[in-house]
Amino acid sequence: MAGGQRAGAMSKPPAASGNLTTYKLVVVGDGGVGKSALTIQFFQKLFVTDYDPTIEDSYIQHCEVDAQWCIMDVLDTAGQEEFSAMREQYMRTGDGFLLVYSVTDKQSYANIQHFHTQILRVKDRDSYPMLLVANKVDLVHLRKVTEEQGRDLAAKLAIPYIETSAKDPPLNVDAAFHEVVRIIRTSPPSDQDRKRRRRRRGRQCALM
Amino acid sequence: MSGSLWGTWGRSSWGGLRRSGRRGSTGTLPPRRGSADGADSTDGPTRARSVWYVSAPTEGDGSGADGTVDSGVWLNERHDPCEKRGMSRWYVYQSPPMELLGTVLPPRPALWPTCGPPCGERDRGHSSERVCLCLQQQSWRLWGDEKSDDAVCSVYLKKVRYHHPGRTPGDSDSDDEISHLEWETVRVRLIKAGTLERLVASLGSHSGELDATYITIFLATYRSFTSARAVVDLIIERSLRLAIMVWLDSYPADFQDHPEYPLMQRILEFCRTYRPETSELENKVTHKLEKFEKEEEIKASPMLQRILSTEEVRCLSPVQSDVPPLTFHEISERRFAEQLTRMDADLFRKVIPHQCLGSIWSKRKGVDASSVAATVDQFNAVSFCVISTMLMDTTLRHSQRAKLLAKWVDIAQELRMLKNFSSLKAIISGLQSNPVYRLKQTWLALPRDKSELFDELARIFSDANNMFNQRELLMKEGTAKHAEAFGENDKHLQKHLSRSGSNHTVNHGTIPYLGTFLTDLMYIHAGIPDYTADGLINFDKRRKEFEILAQIKLLQGASNAYNIARDRPFERWFDAVLVLDDKEAYELSYQIEPHGSTSSHGSSSGSSRDKIMRKKVALGHKKHDSLASTSSSSSSQFFGEMDSVSSPNESSASFERHASVMSTSSSSSSVPSLDASVTSSATNQSQQSARKTPDSALQQKPDAGSPYITPDFYIIRVTIRTSAHETEGINLYKSIMLSNSERTPQVIRNAMIKHDVEGNTDDYVLAQLLPDGEKVVPANCNVYYAINTAHDLNFVLRPKKDAASSDTHRLKESKSKRKLLMLHK
Repeated sequence: MAGGQRAGAMSKPPAASGNLTTYKLVVVGDGGVGKSALTIQFFQKLFVTDYDPTIEDSYIQHCEVDAQWCIMDVLDTAGQEEFSAMREQYMRTGDGFLLVYSVTDKQSYANIQHFHTQILRVKDRDSYPMLLVANKVDLVHLRKVTEEQGRDLAAKLAIPYIETSAKDPPLNVDAAFHEVVRIIRTSPPSDQDRKRRRRRRGRQCALM
Repeated sequence: MSGSLWGTWGRSSWGGLRRSGRRGSTGTLPPRRGSADGADSTDGPTRARSVWYVSAPTEGDGSGADGTVDSGVWLNERHDPCEKRGMSRWYVYQSPPMELLGTVLPPRPALWPTCGPPCGERDRGHSSERVCLCLQQQSWRLWGDEKSDDAVCSVYLKKVRYHHPGRTPGDSDSDDEISHLEWETVRVRLIKAGTLERLVASLGSHSGELDATYITIFLATYRSFTSARAVVDLIIERSLRLAIMVWLDSYPADFQDHPEYPLMQRILEFCRTYRPETSELENKVTHKLEKFEKEEEIKASPMLQRILSTEEVRCLSPVQSDVPPLTFHEISERRFAEQLTRMDADLFRKVIPHQCLGSIWSKRKGVDASSVAATVDQFNAVSFCVISTMLMDTTLRHSQRAKLLAKWVDIAQELRMLKNFSSLKAIISGLQSNPVYRLKQTWLALPRDKSELFDELARIFSDANNMFNQRELLMKEGTAKHAEAFGENDKHLQKHLSRSGSNHTVNHGTIPYLGTFLTDLMYIHAGIPDYTADGLINFDKRRKEFEILAQIKLLQGASNAYNIARDRPFERWFDAVLVLDDKEAYELSYQIEPHGSTSSHGSSSGSSRDKIMRKKVALGHKKHDSLASTSSSSSSQFFGEMDSVSSPNESSASFERHASVMSTSSSSSSVPSLDASVTSSATNQSQQSARKTPDSALQQKPDAGSPYITPDFYIIRVTIRTSAHETEGINLYKSIMLSNSERTPQVIRNAMIKHDVEGNTDDYVLAQLLPDGEKVVPANCNVYYAINTAHDLNFVLRPKKDAASSDTHRLKESKSKRKLLMLHK
């Protein structure tokens, strides 16, 4: 709903939305870094009272990125961080990743590298569309990881960096998700990914 | 008839309102749209529109469908994108031929988390909801919000039907003569938000203005916005005796604050003031207090506690020397699935639902969420068990390893039949974990039917459409007696089901994968504000949370249907499975299929790219290894290592300390053999104190040695010393279990595995460290009887002089060192 509303506010998505490419974005990071708040903020501009996390298309949204419409399908398993064994299972489905840490939590920053390695292993690639997200930058007085440290890590992992806050007024939340789509678009997809995305598109057609 | 939908929740199978295409338990289901809609397949990508079904008469809002509508009406939900969800109308169609009858307002939005209309407009291409909506003899219509200083209520008009004219309905607030009425409309207020005072005051209201389970929702969720103390004070202020009674019965743990029990004392004080009306409550409180005291007594007695805790921490019971330990091959798939289910059911029943709440689980390190953490640990243990069995023997041929894989798929299928979605997902996750999933040759050698079966099972947990498959399946089968519903595409599962049709006399419960609930609750926690703009407690949020807690509770009740006997040999096998950490798993995986020679399952990538990558990833491993070890999966290993570095003398004390830490967190995810030694040490002591042992050696040294020694096996601690030893000055001890039938080569082998040393057992000697020097264990003897139990069971493993240590050995050594360094950080 929110997606539709927002899309509607900007400009209408093309009627034949079945032909749009679907990007599966996966949000990873330690528990408590505010992943869910980011995702919710992206999907609902305002936290409405009848928000429902269990319905089917809660995390699917039409978006216009660089004048090109697409469907974003976001997977964020907040609350399941401790089920460590199932992580690779859902990493496998992602086209792009948001690696989220909280600037108030050093450990969450340190663990980013582990997620990065794990994604590359699962994807069997030496690079993959990822974005380093430094969240909770609104908590200035609690900040323990500086912007410089964040940028250093991003440079080391060779991925872009962005600072976000899901607290009202939100900072860079849409930008972060849109950026991942940009990264996916500019990086050469493997055969496997291309196949998968096409398949998904095919299903959309069948739906219509 | 007068029961609210909430009331229905707790009683009938899935309550009045569920999102589901089919409900076996409802007799009022209409003919489905049948195959035309293609809705039967679980992954049904062909479902094209939102269809809402009203099974019982409902009332329009005047703008259309006036009066009642027969069953067999489909509500097609259409959103005006500009409207908020709560304002949208439902379009009512007659089916067939899908004729538009009019529009109605949806029933209570408060219920939407379970029946929720899809939040998509028509052209979104993804709204594939199928929702079964059973209004059960009544309809609700939102009248509006009613605001006062301390609360906001939603007022609904509810149409109540009277099937027995003349009988006064309990829920009516009308005093009119109603015997001639077929139905009437009553006003129902549901509190949406309020001050704490108002919320508590509402616990005692009997005026019928509240839904029946308000108190249940309140008690399940109040921890998110207030403390037990504050609620007790307010309840007492209002003399809400009944509320306290219900509370005491449903959540006794809230009052169990040893040793003073201030809340109980407060209630008793209240009771004494208002005698005799309060005598019943007083009795209850006194009775509960006695019970608490007894429980404290048990807790205070280490011996009793240990005896009782043996059940909980699945310890190793003394090994019967004549019974050889099980092997993976010996355990039938059915037995395996049943035993996993028994373990899961025990843990799931113990889950305290409110520990799943986002406000509690998100702070899981700071507050008690142990009942949830225990299920997570078991989940991981099952996954690790899969990974370990698949990779441990690197000498297997691909076809042999494929047999192991097939066995796991069969176990998964049995779990599906048992409706144990927790271990089922754990096994699927284990098989899909990269070190196993990348073994292309193994997967290629898997027979086609098994491979298809695996796909069918994996599809259950597809993350497509917000875990739609999994959610729907849980709703369909959650409280059904046995597995029955399969998608059209699940040929293998269907076949298996019809084959095992005779088993249907046995009822099964359901064990859900808890993670999905945790995520949903996390999202409600993060997505809905705790307070309204006016500073009132947002109770609507708690209703939403409760809906999920209620599902958990319902399934917990259903899980009582399992009746599976405990199988100790299986548990011993399960606990003894060696857990590989991330790095070890990859090392073995690369040994089986070298990196680059094959690409991961299903992918096709160029060989030149693979070569480049091989280098980079290999570098990556080294660089990130220390970080990897800080991940949650290896956290429990930390305990084990910590234990190992402590000096031999102080270690027995620290061992005990860890034992208590271990048992409270019941961390069995990693290094189960160490866990096993810890837990068994605790039990053994209690066993020893409980019965006299004839072994004189034990009596000689009852204090220091006892946690390690038992009549049937010993826990010995082995360090390793090699010429290339880089960790001079630190004794790295590993605990291993020594049963009374083990001979020297086997013990050396166990010690080598523990120390990550590869090579031939013949190249090593084992010696006991005694105060007067070392005593070498003879090359082939029963070690159990050869060792000196009068002293600490500390051993050293040394390479024989002539045997050169291999390169792999060095490598493993440096790894151990790295782990040590981490500890010193």
